[in-house]
Amino acid sequence: MEDYFSYTEKLFNPAETADKPEALKGIRVLDFSHVIFGPIAARVLGEYGAEVIKLELPFFGDLWRPATYWGKYWKHSNPIWHNITKNKYFISVNLKLDKSKELIYKMAETADVIIENFAPGTAEAWKIGYSQISKINPKIIFLSCSTYGQYGPMRYFPGWDLLAQGASGVLSLNGYEDRFFKLPDYLGDFVPGNFASLAVLMAIYYRNKTGKGQYIDQAQSEALMRLLPNYTYHSITGGAIGRTGNTDPSMVPAAIMKAKDDKFLALACTTEDQFQSLLAVMDRKDLLADPRFTSNESRLIPEHAKELNQIVSNWVKTKNCDEIIDMAVTQSIPAAEVMDDYTLCHDEWRHQRGSVILFNDDMYGELAIAGPSAQLSATPSRTKWLARPLGYHNQIVLKKFLNLSDDEIKDLEKQKVIGTFDDRPGLKPPVYYNLAEDPIYNYGKEVSQ
Amino acid sequence: MSPNGQKEEIYTRHASARPSDLAKSLAEIMNPEGKAEVLDDVLVLDVSRNSFAGISAASIFAEFGAEVIKIEPPEGDPARRITPFGTHVKGVGIPFMFEARNKRYMTLDIKDNEEDRKVFSKLARKATVIIETFPAGDMDAWGIGYRQLSEQNPGLVYIAITAYGQYTEKAKKFVRMPDVDIVSQAGSGLAANMGDVPDAGEPYSWPLRAGLWAGWYISGLSAVVGGTVALIHRQNTGVGQMVDVAGMDAYSSMVGIPVSIGYTWHKARPRIGILDFILYPYGHWKCKDGFVAVAAPRDHDFRALLKILGLWEIEDDWRYSSDRIPDILEQATHLHKLIENETMKYTADELVGLALNYSKKSARSKWRGGGVPIVMKLMTPETALENPQWHVRKSFQDVEDKNLGKYKISANFTKMSESPPRIKWVSCDIGQDNDYVREKYLKD
Repeated sequence: MEDYFSYTEKLFNPAETADKPEALKGIRVLDFSHVIFGPIAARVLGEYGAEVIKLELPFFGDLWRPATYWGKYWKHSNPIWHNITKNKYFISVNLKLDKSKELIYKMAETADVIIENFAPGTAEAWKIGYSQISKINPKIIFLSCSTYGQYGPMRYFPGWDLLAQGASGVLSLNGYEDRFFKLPDYLGDFVPGNFASLAVLMAIYYRNKTGKGQYIDQAQSEALMRLLPNYTYHSITGGAIGRTGNTDPSMVPAAIMKAKDDKFLALACTTEDQFQSLLAVMDRKDLLADPRFTSNESRLIPEHAKELNQIVSNWVKTKNCDEIIDMAVTQSIPAAEVMDDYTLCHDEWRHQRGSVILFNDDMYGELAIAGPSAQLSATPSRTKWLARPLGYHNQIVLKKFLNLSDDEIKDLEKQKVIGTFDDRPGLKPPVYYNLAEDPIYNYGKEVSQ
Repeated sequence: MSPNGQKEEIYTRHASARPSDLAKSLAEIMNPEGKAEVLDDVLVLDVSRNSFAGISAASIFAEFGAEVIKIEPPEGDPARRITPFGTHVKGVGIPFMFEARNKRYMTLDIKDNEEDRKVFSKLARKATVIIETFPAGDMDAWGIGYRQLSEQNPGLVYIAITAYGQYTEKAKKFVRMPDVDIVSQAGSGLAANMGDVPDAGEPYSWPLRAGLWAGWYISGLSAVVGGTVALIHRQNTGVGQMVDVAGMDAYSSMVGIPVSIGYTWHKARPRIGILDFILYPYGHWKCKDGFVAVAAPRDHDFRALLKILGLWEIEDDWRYSSDRIPDILEQATHLHKLIENETMKYTADELVGLALNYSKKSARSKWRGGGVPIVMKLMTPETALENPQWHVRKSFQDVEDKNLGKYKISANFTKMSESPPRIKWVSCDIGQDNDYVREKYLKD
């Protein structure tokens, strides 16, 4: 039999990704959403082959376009934005105008999914909510994203990732007794965004069976609440798990520690075997005679756990990080070096695996972009293009998908129903990019290439 | 009545008129009772071991209506005992109880028992989805991996969750390293970006573990999203596939931000404690009686916050007007302190009231330039349980098991008008459904 790893190497071969089928080919998504939560739901669908048309306000665009880390732009774009909106068609339509609604209704006729994350009730008030769109297209799958949900007394409260973290209680869990920190990188948007895409995928599966569309109300807070057994803990014990610093209270040892070479690493034991192996490597089998450490249950008692984590930390301090990891590999003990933005981005394993992709884009050139969080062998996720300037796909979407003529499009431009970017970074193309010769931006027109 | 008073009344009447129609009918429309179960044609076999990534993935499939059979050795999945401070009810840990959603429990020792593998192989012929977390290649070596099972069942969706995945040189070298939450938090870029500022002293300035199983749950969610994409492909073509989740990259791939920054900035972010690297103010502040979360990140939101806190005099200070989100920690921390001095003068309720009143006025303003500063009284999971919002939305459910008694879980995480997820039962006795499974799937 062929070696397992050479079999899987072929099964997942990243070089063949482009030739494989797309699971969501033929699914059309209208993405009215902005910032991160809604757009991520749309992006996940786009990765697997759905055609995502993102609508933004002319000359203003998505709020998140200029929101880069410490105001640092990359080729006049927001590097983080590329990850959130890759593979999308960018059209810029003023949703509030009546004339725009005609366009949207026309697009809704052939759409499969609509995604919005305005304040609850806004889409209905603008007559582009589920009750209106489902009359035009009863098979539509309509996803509304919000922090607290579309009903309930708090529904009108504005929200962000932070507020969802605060409302679910997860914000209070990270840190030490006297200080705590929110989850980083807008995890409160990205995780609920993936939950929202899951709901749409389930709705597509359901529609394939029954022909029925549906309305989805995804609250950001409720998605985060799904990850917390803390509510159950409280209902059973009356107490709280609370904050436990950089240790995991469910296993011991389990902590983030500092090695001799000042590198950080995490090490944990979840089974008796792992614990025994670790003690053997540490040459501390004597600890098993200590009644505090003989059973897992006794080790997990907070004072005992603290003591044991300290003993292991002290040992880790005498070794270099690589030594610990090598030992962990041979002994099957879970351990890993703490990876930061830089080491992670340049990690050979991630490049080979396809979780960091060095993508070569027609407009921006090379950018490292995150791959999918699950690798699929038959219908893999793919990156086709990065984010584009505001209104970049106006021509192609209106001509190809809506059969509008040049005159009709000019008329829409004149009425300010559609528009493009202005001079702000995040909205415009790189300054050296020659848009006049771009065949997609000028779709249907003659360009000299 | 003054013109202002009249406006006030219109506002409140408008706001309170809504729940009686739209919101109330939505609560009815979204009630899962009697609705279709989207995955009622899907059989999931969960042979994951010692992994809440596998367990939570299986639970989510079960909540969407799949028949999920949890297969564990006769002594039970060791994950049953992974629980905070060792707390358990009759030997079952809290997280395991939390994830005991709509599942069947069968005992088979596929790791060490040849006969049991044959039974599993027979069952796998009828399965739609398999979830496993053994070292890559172990199932294959036992003759029950994707390679063998897909021959008899070409539509099979085979989900494998490990630390470093099913392919690449490193996956091979690290094949025996188990995927554990805190380790994947460290290895996937989460821990590095949590923790206090460099001069906070040790261990506060160290990388920090997120206080939930972010690694395991993100792997589990990735597995379900990938698995459902695969189910749709199977539905369209009859073809199955392998879904490979690696705990060491699931987080960084799901959020993507570490990769983008590492590449464009050529260095890692420093740890910035309670600050944020894109938005400001965006975090939590101390107040008289606890903490508030404050989000006022847009320029006009920030200015609105200065107004309600009586800090308007710093508005034209260049440090705050044009550069309030600097990568100079000292400057950002200084502003944080200025704001804290003011928030400390109020209770959380007072601050929420100040912000709400201001936002109402600014929402009515013709100019709409006033900003919407958001202030929320900070919740813990324990206080969140009391929020009426979640009562109306049935976000928490009281459940009862004949052995384990009554407890609460968070449920109904997605509201869907036609095919919502739901909790039907919780119970998780080892081998409780052995007869059921043999009767239903193994008779022929």
